[in-house]
This record gives sequence, C-alpha cells and structure tokens, in this order.
Amino acid sequence: MVSNHFTTLNLPESLILESGDIDASWREKTKDEESGDLHEARATLADPVRRLEHWLFLRKVEPPRGSSMAPPMMDLFSQIHGVLAETDAVITKMKSATTALMRAVMTKSAVQAQLKLQGCMQKIQQEKAERLDRFPEFEKKGNGGEFTEAVEVLGQLKFLRKWEQQCQERLLSLLEF
Amino acid sequence: MDKELIIGIDLGTTNSLVGVVDSGFPIILADANGERIIPSAVSYRKGGEPLVGREALRSRAVAPKRTITSVKRFIGRPFSDLSAEEISSVPYELTGGKQGPLSIPLGSEDAVTPQQVSGEILRHLKSIAEAALETEVRRAVITVPAYFNNAQREATKAAAEEAGLQVERMINEPTAAALAYGLDKLDENQTVAVYDLGGGTFDLSVLQMRDGLFEVISTAGDTRLGGDDIDAAIASELMSRFDLRELSSGEQATLLAAAREAKEALSKQDSHTVRLPFFRDGKSYEQTVSRAEMEALIAPVIERTRPICQRAFAEAAAKGAGTVDHLILVGGSTRIPLVREKVEEWFSLEPNVSQHPDEAIALGAAIQAGILCGRVRSIVLVDVTPLSLGIETFGGLMNVIIPRNSTIPAKAGEMFTNAVTNQESIAIRVLQGEREMAKDNWLLGEVLLPFEKGPKGSARVGVQFAIDRDGILEVLARDTVTNEDYVLEIRDAAVDVEDEAVEAMVSESIDYAFDDMNERVWTEAKLKSGELIPAVEMALEQVGDQLEEEELSQIGAATETVMVILQRGDKDAAALKKANLALDEATQTLAAILVEAAFADPDS
Repeated sequence: MVSNHFTTLNLPESLILESGDIDASWREKTKDEESGDLHEARATLADPVRRLEHWLFLRKVEPPRGSSMAPPMMDLFSQIHGVLAETDAVITKMKSATTALMRAVMTKSAVQAQLKLQGCMQKIQQEKAERLDRFPEFEKKGNGGEFTEAVEVLGQLKFLRKWEQQCQERLLSLLEF
Repeated sequence: MDKELIIGIDLGTTNSLVGVVDSGFPIILADANGERIIPSAVSYRKGGEPLVGREALRSRAVAPKRTITSVKRFIGRPFSDLSAEEISSVPYELTGGKQGPLSIPLGSEDAVTPQQVSGEILRHLKSIAEAALETEVRRAVITVPAYFNNAQREATKAAAEEAGLQVERMINEPTAAALAYGLDKLDENQTVAVYDLGGGTFDLSVLQMRDGLFEVISTAGDTRLGGDDIDAAIASELMSRFDLRELSSGEQATLLAAAREAKEALSKQDSHTVRLPFFRDGKSYEQTVSRAEMEALIAPVIERTRPICQRAFAEAAAKGAGTVDHLILVGGSTRIPLVREKVEEWFSLEPNVSQHPDEAIALGAAIQAGILCGRVRSIVLVDVTPLSLGIETFGGLMNVIIPRNSTIPAKAGEMFTNAVTNQESIAIRVLQGEREMAKDNWLLGEVLLPFEKGPKGSARVGVQFAIDRDGILEVLARDTVTNEDYVLEIRDAAVDVEDEAVEAMVSESIDYAFDDMNERVWTEAKLKSGELIPAVEMALEQVGDQLEEEELSQIGAATETVMVILQRGDKDAAALKKANLALDEATQTLAAILVEAAFADPDS
C-alpha cells in the first residue's frame, strides 16, 4: 500500500539527503502534475526521522517494539515531563485570568516557564543531532544487513520528536499572553 | 478552444465579489448599477423574492429580523457551538437543536439556515456574472477563510450547489490574495506572508513563490475575528456613552451601522461625530469620538491577531522557510491605520498595501478559475490544511493522523483490528483541531468499520484518511478480499446519552443570553472582582514598595469600593463593573512594574 517515496521523487534510496534536493525534485514534479503522492513523499523524506523509518520499512525491517528507554533518555524524559506539567499549570492560570493585573502577576512564572522550555528544546535538539549524525554509519551497516542500532535509534528519535513538539506547542501557547 | 468558463467568487462576511479572467487578466464584474462590491446581505420579504446586496442592506433598519448580514460567521456551525455573546451580537435571531445546522427564524412561520442565506448571495453573484458575460455560468471557484474547518467548507460547497454552481475548487482567502499579488511577479523568488483581516475572519499564511509555483508553508487564523468585532467594541462604547441599556433589534442594527461608519471615518480623519437622530422615543443622540479614543477601544481586537501571526511564522521557520520578504495586507479591516502601525511594529516589516483590500481575494479566485479553465498558464498552487486531523483513542485523547500545515491533497493510512472475538464493527470518531483531549476538538463525525467475524486480532481493516484539494475530508477503507477502496460514510455523530444534558445546555445558553442581563453582568463582574482582589494583594506584596504613596492610596480606595459593593447584596451589576474598571485603571502602573520586573530578572 505504501509506495517507495525515494522513487517517487527520483532520489537515491539513501538516508543522507539534502533538503534542497528533496524540495527541488518535488517542485519540478509538482509543476508537471500535482499529486498527493508527491506531497507525501516530500513530507516523509524531508523529516529525517520519517526518512529513517521509511528506509527501514523498504528494507522490511521490523519497527522498534515496545517503549524501552535507555537510562539517559529516561533522565531527559523525567526532566521534560516536569517542565511540561509546570508550564501547563501556568498556561491554565493565564488563560483563566480576565484582568490585566492578574496576568501581570503571572508574568514571572510565564517567563520562567518559557526559559525552562527553551532549555529543554536545546537539550532535545542536541540529542537529536547526535543521533542524526549517525545516519551514514547506519546506512553503511544496513548495506551489510545490520539494522539493530538503526532500529533502536529510530525509537529514541520518535520520543525526542514527540517531546520537541510538546515543548513547541507550549512555547506557542505562552506567546499568546 | 476555451474550456467551459469558470468564475471566481469571494464570498465574504461583509462583502462579496465575482470575477473572471479576461485576455489573461483577472477582472471584477459589476452589477447593473456598476457596483462591484456586493454587500453580503439578504433580506427576506414576506411573499416575494429575497433582496440581496445593497437593497437588502437598506431594509435592515425596517426589517432587522428578516435582514441577514455576516452570516458567514455562522455557516457550518451547530447552535451549541455559539457563545451567548455571539448570539446577541446580531440583530436577527438564531436558534437550533443539539446537532445539525443552526436556524434563523424570520418571524411567524418560516426560517432559513446560514447555508441557504449564503446560497442566496451566491445565486445573486451568479446572475451578476451571467448578465455581465452574457452567457450561462455553471462552474465556480469559491474562496473560504484558510482556517475554516471541514464542516464550514462542506456547508459553503453545499450553498454553492443550491445556487446552481458546481464548485471546481475552494481556495483559501490569503492564498488567493497571494495569487493576485504574484501574478506579475512569476519570474521572482519570494517568501511572503499574507495578513488577511476581513469582516469576520482573520488568517495569516506564509507562502513561497518560485517560478510560478505558489506554495503555502504554514497558515493560522481565527474564524471569529474581524471587522465585526471592531464594530461591536465601538458600539458597546457608544451604548455606555449614551447610557443605553437594552436595545431592540432595530436599534441594535442602527447602532452597529453607526459604529461601522465611525470606524471608516476615523480611518481617514482624526475625529468623527456619531449622530443617531430620533433614535429612541423621539430622542436624538450625538457624540464625538476621536481617532485616539477609537484606537484605545479596538487595540485589544487587533492585538488578538499577533499570537496567530507568531504561530504561523514559527511553523514556517520550523519547516525551513526563509525570512519573509514581504508582508501583504488584504481584507477591509486592514484599512485601519492602527492595524498597519501594529503590524509594522510587531514584525519590523513595512506592510505591503499594493493590493486592493476588498478586491485582491476575488481577483485571486478569478486567477485560480482561469488556471482551471485553461485561460491562465504556468501557475501551480499548493496549499496546506490548517487544522490537524485525528481520531479519538482510548482515554479520550486525540491521535493526530494528518498534522496541520500538511500539504494537500494529503492522505494517511491506519490499520484497525478487532479487540474482541467476533466483534462486528468499530466506530471511529474523526476529529479536527489542535487540542490534546478529543472532546476539545471538533468532531467531524463517526465512521463505522465492519469487521470479518473471527478471533480477537484476526480482522484487519486498512483505513485511509484523505484531505482533498478543497480541504475536505474523505475516509476510504480497503476491502482486503477484493483490494478495492470504498468511501466510508461519515455520519453526524449522534449524541445519544447526553441528549438531556445538551438540551439543558442549549436552553441555558438562551436564558443566559436573553432572560436576565443583569444577572449575567453581575456574575461576570463578580468573577472579575474575585480575581482582582487577590491579584492586587499579591502584586503589592511583590513590588508595592516601588509605588508612590498616592498610587497606593488610590489602589486601596478602589479595592475598598469593590469590596463594599460585593458585600452590599443588592447585586448592582453596573456599579460593580464600574468599580472593577476603576480598580483595573488604578493598578495599571502596578501591572507594568510587575511585567517589567518579570522580564528583567526572571530568576529572582
């Protein structure tokens, strides 16, 4: 049911792609004939996490199972989880405030929450970058039929992406005040 | 040879226009009186064809309950979705049940739906086009606010069909404006943002234009934010200046028209006198409003567009779009000087006002129509879906399947299996929105998936969720035996268990709106006092030492007044509201000091 997104965009079936190349190929093809397949292919390949997932899928590798988390990820998770909960409390209070004074009283907690979120985002992006840097290694090993680490890292990247989205969502909500 | 002609329509909250491409250029068509901007107003006469446009608007004062304006705010929405404030914001009546479209009663027996009213406007636009072009018109491109949800888009499409128009494409308003802007810049590469503040809706879209390819990167908006809210803010100020309480429908219509006139006048000059001759019991009212006064009133409305812009910009940046080269303003409300000033101040970009605020969207619709019927070449338009699409999972959470700002057409597949042996079907609730809890999002409907009988986990049905080019959802299931896809029906989700609760809610909201204004104002004011008093205490504790003695005593006195009224027990809503306002004002410096301190030293 899923087609090969690399083929759809005439790109080499590689984990290492330049976003400029993906866009350029999409643009050329879209001008000829716009289609949902092209959009899906670009959206998949432009996101390195989805690209890795698709690449593994095409190699018929079983997706990561369960949600086992390595200890460093676990630490990050509990840190982020705390900040998210704290931020949610601030956002709820800010949202229900109807007076300028109440919002002013809340501003300090909002600014603090924002700084903490930005700290989390930085940490997440750093963790993510470290893993993306290993793509050439995964590709090489994959060509030799070895996928264990790639699968493991895919699971971690998915967590990181989810947390990144959650932080981003809260940062945008805080902007509203 | 030309393919069959397609017209482009901007179906606006306040005004509507129809255009077409002629010799490679888009033009707006005029009616028999030479008018190109047609008010989106329909007046239903007893025993006669409805009036549309300027004529309808003229009958507003005499038949306020039968003259429908700003109906776009209500299209595709159930009655239970409306706030009491929205219901009382229009001079005509709104009613409805717990589900399905709301209805507008026109008096004793008949009623119309927002979809029918829109259909009437579209029929009128069709006839203008037919008269101007001297040919029958059957196909159209219609614009909708980018932030319209599935139901609002479906209802708009259905309205066009009722008017005898086949909708060839629905395009988003800011995207249409970008087409109009970019038509003579096809060989340039630019990233632009379109700020579209219309009569009732606000959208901001970020687009990339490259070699004739118009690609929307991100979009955000509010379908209940526009010129109508600005008019309402001015009207409410006029009411309190004239010391008017309850208004009749006719009075409300007249006052809103006066507020709108004031807004338009004060966009060009520094002061304007509002005159309401023989407004009530032969009494006339008169007040002069300065531009500065109006700007203070409407600033909060304009301020609401800011986080929406920031959201769209942040998501465009996250998707790798470069810096925005031009910020294009369209929509009638962008004529207001304060809007232009604020936008420039927020984003340090000089707003581009090269496009006609009222016509750009219709011109864009005409260009898209021209592309579809082969009159315009070398332009490709690619848009995104404004809202995430998902399904409800266990625990009432929303599981996103197609994220917002995905390029459309978009599709995503999911596999479903039977959780118990011999389960015959599963009902999937399809949602649209950005909230984590399913119940906080719009429920588009339910899809029933049939399962083959068998042991637990044996049945498998692949379902594909697709959003088409018009932004409308389609759900396909694949028959595992024949491998054929078939369209699943999306049923209006029946509210069975909570029937009574919803009914109570609906009737409560009506009571709330009409029965006891004083009670409502009192409750709101009391909530506000309950928030202000502890806030004052906290604020004084933190930065009270930075205030002058005089300010402190003013705050003390204002707090005292609020508390006295609260304890008096006569529920004097007007007095409490006034006292709250006074306390609000007395604490302005205090609030400013707090905010400054928060940013200067967040860690202390």
